[in-house]
Amino acid sequence: MVTESPEQGEPSEVLQLERLRQAPPLRRFAGYFRLGGPGFMDAALTLGAGTLTAAMLSGATFGYKTVWLLWVSMGLGLFMMAAMARFTTRGLGVIALQDRYHGWVIGSLMTALIGTAGVAIVFNWGQVSLGTYLMELLADRLGYTFPQQWNWIVYVALTSWLTLSYGRKGRRGIRFIETFMKVSIGFMLLAFGACLMVTGIDWSAALHGSVVPWLPPGGEGLDLFVASSAAAIGVMDWFLFNYAGRARGWVKAHEPLAHFDMSIGLFLPFILVNFLVIAVFAETLLPLGIASDAAPNELAERLEPLLGTSWAPVLFYLGFLAVPISTTVGMSIAGAMAIHAAFGWERDTSSWRWRISALLPQIGFLAAWYDRPVWLVIAIGAFLSLTDNIVAWSMYLLLNDKRALGEDRCRSRFWNFGLVLQITLLNSIAIIYVFNRLGWWFE
Amino acid sequence: MDLETRLGPATLRVWGLIANFAGNAALLYGAIGYVVDGSRLSWLLVGGTVTLVSVLSLSSPSR
Repeated sequence: MVTESPEQGEPSEVLQLERLRQAPPLRRFAGYFRLGGPGFMDAALTLGAGTLTAAMLSGATFGYKTVWLLWVSMGLGLFMMAAMARFTTRGLGVIALQDRYHGWVIGSLMTALIGTAGVAIVFNWGQVSLGTYLMELLADRLGYTFPQQWNWIVYVALTSWLTLSYGRKGRRGIRFIETFMKVSIGFMLLAFGACLMVTGIDWSAALHGSVVPWLPPGGEGLDLFVASSAAAIGVMDWFLFNYAGRARGWVKAHEPLAHFDMSIGLFLPFILVNFLVIAVFAETLLPLGIASDAAPNELAERLEPLLGTSWAPVLFYLGFLAVPISTTVGMSIAGAMAIHAAFGWERDTSSWRWRISALLPQIGFLAAWYDRPVWLVIAIGAFLSLTDNIVAWSMYLLLNDKRALGEDRCRSRFWNFGLVLQITLLNSIAIIYVFNRLGWWFE
Repeated sequence: MDLETRLGPATLRVWGLIANFAGNAALLYGAIGYVVDGSRLSWLLVGGTVTLVSVLSLSSPSR
C-alpha cells in the first residue's frame, strides 16, 4: 500500500544519491538509471497511439524532413518538466498549489479532472482500439484467429492488473511499474530498431532532416510546426511527473536525479522511438505514396509485406503493442492520481476508491466494437486546446511566486525564457482553434 | 522592473502573459493574411513585436 507521504524521502536513497554524486560518470549514470522512474513513466505515457500515428504519417509523407521537430518540441517541453522537478523535490503537489494561489477552476478542474482524468478516459479509447487490432494482426500472422471482439478481454485484464500493481506491496509496486515502463521502452527500441535493420536507413537524409529545419509550405507548415512543437508533452505529463515523483518520496536531494530522469527517461526515448518509426516508414511507405489521413491500423497493415522476412512483422507488431499497453497503464495511474488530488483524497492504492478511479479508463474496451463518441472527442479536444495554455501560465506563475516556493523559486532568465516560449506555442494552439471555428484559418 | 508589482487586479507578470497572448493572436492573424495574399503585414509586425517584447520581459526572474 502506498499512501501520501510527500515530505518523506527514503533515507537510504538519499544516501545513495550522495554517494553517486561523487562516483565516476559511468557508475553515476547506471545508478541514476536504476533509481529513475517517473520520467520513464512519462515517456511511456507520451509514446501512445496518437504520437506514433503522427510519426508514421510524418515518415510516410515527408520522409526524414521533419525529424528536427522531435528534439525542438521535446527540448522545449523540458523547461516545464524542470519546473515540475522543482515542485516535486520540494514536496509540493501542483494541484494543491494551483488551488491555493490560482483557484480550483484552474487546479482541480482544468488540470486534474479534465486535463488529466478526463483525457485518460477519452484517449484510452484509441489505445484499446490500436492494441486489440494489433493483437488480432499478430495472432493472424501466427496462424490463429483472435478477433478484437474477444481479445479485448486479454488487453483489459493485462492493463488492469498492471495498473493496480502500482503501489501494491508499498514501494515495490511502484518500482515494478517503473521497471515495466523501462522494459516497454527498451522493447520498442529493440523492435523498431530491428525493423530498421531490415529496411535500411538513408543516413545522409536522416542527418539532414535532424538538423536542417524544414516545413511544408503555407498553412500546412504553420499547422504542423505549432501542433508538433506544443503537443509533445502536455498537462497530463506534467502532472504525472509531479505526482509519481512525490509517490517516490523525492526530496531536494533528488533534484539532480529528477533532471536525469526527464532527460534520459523522457527526452531520449521520445526522440529515439519516434525517429525509428519515422525512419521505418520513410524507407518503406514514402516511395509508394500514401493518403495523409490513414489510420495507424491501416499504416501498420500496409507496412507488413514491406518488411519481407517472417520475423520482422511479428517483432514490429510486438514492439508496437508495447505502445498502447504502456500508455493505457500510465494514463490510468495518472487519472487516478488526478481524481485523488482534485478531491483532496489521500492516495491509498489498496482502497476501492483508488481501484475504481484507476480502472475508469477501461471503459475504452468498447473500442472493440464502437468508435469513440465523436462529440466527446471534440469536446475534450476543444477543452485541451483552449486550456492547456492557461494551465501553463499557472505553472509559470507558481515557479516565479515567492509565496509558493520561497527562495527555491526560479532564478534563471534562461529557464523562464524557455517556459514563455512554450507558453507562446500553447497560446497559438488556442488561438488557431478559435480561428478555425471562426473560419479565419487556412482551408 | 519588478514584475511582481501590482497594477490594478493583477501583477505585471500576469499582464505580461495577457499582452503576450494578444501579441500571439495578432501575429497569427497577420501571418494568415501574409501567407495567403501578402496582406495584413502591419498585424504581423505589431504582433511579432509585442510577442518578442513580452517574451523577453517575462523571462526576468522575480527579485
